[in-house]
Amino acid sequence: MNQQLNDVLFSVAEETLEKLAFMFVAKDYDRNDIDYESIVAASILFTGPFSGRLILTISTETIHELSANMLGVEEDETSPDQQDDALKETLNVICGNILPAIAGKEAVFNISAPMIINDIEDIRKNIENADGKALASVVRMEIDGEQCDLFLFIDGEIPKGFIK
Amino acid sequence: MALNVLIVDDSGVMRAMILKTMHMSGLPLGEVHQAGNGKEGLETLNQHWIDLVVVDINMPVMNGEEMLSRMKENPSTKDIPVVIISTEGSQTRIKRLKEKGASFIQKPFSPELIRDTVRDITGIGGDNESAT
Repeated sequence: MNQQLNDVLFSVAEETLEKLAFMFVAKDYDRNDIDYESIVAASILFTGPFSGRLILTISTETIHELSANMLGVEEDETSPDQQDDALKETLNVICGNILPAIAGKEAVFNISAPMIINDIEDIRKNIENADGKALASVVRMEIDGEQCDLFLFIDGEIPKGFIK
Repeated sequence: MALNVLIVDDSGVMRAMILKTMHMSGLPLGEVHQAGNGKEGLETLNQHWIDLVVVDINMPVMNGEEMLSRMKENPSTKDIPVVIISTEGSQTRIKRLKEKGASFIQKPFSPELIRDTVRDITGIGGDNESAT
């Protein structure tokens, strides 16, 4: 796995979660797997100089804090729809900042609307299969001890001249 | 003077965040209207006096760029200041939006950036006005 690409993903995720939701993430060096039973996930597709999918997973505990912090309310005041919306918007912002960090600021990408992946098996399938797309980078993070992961899948390879 | 603001974004959480951030930045807000896409935004503009439009780009039904173009074609809305707050990272697209007369803020944003941008295009709000 490409370290420079991993660094870009972590840096963007770190800045986005801090600015959007006042949440501080750290790299989780020791964890290599996912507890699928206790996560929610969102996925976003993009096309452009290279195409692919970005998936963000976050623990079911942390999603309450994420949505509450974004809205400026208490954790028990957010609805499931607002929690989904918060996760989708967070992924949308992360994706919008990762692509120019990889391909340069002149590159034009089309980004689809983010989608929630509800079913545990669908989350597993999206991460482990990803419609044949190759896993280009994965960053395993933790927020207050809870898992949070970011996966970048791409069709083919990232073109030469971009980050390698 | 209080600003009547229209916030257009398909994410309700992001609309709430933008509003919260505008309050935090010390901008003098009057009526605040919200819309979930460009079409709803144009309808709101036809029904209310709006001093400032804050709009996302990527939205269903009608995106922010088309809404901006429609506003510029209409004599009654062409002079309303527009701030685009978006995840868009392409300088090519951002330049095109600026050429249409919009200011641009990339998500994630800070209260200070929103305050300074709104103050630049409206001459209203933030520390300067509260000091006078």
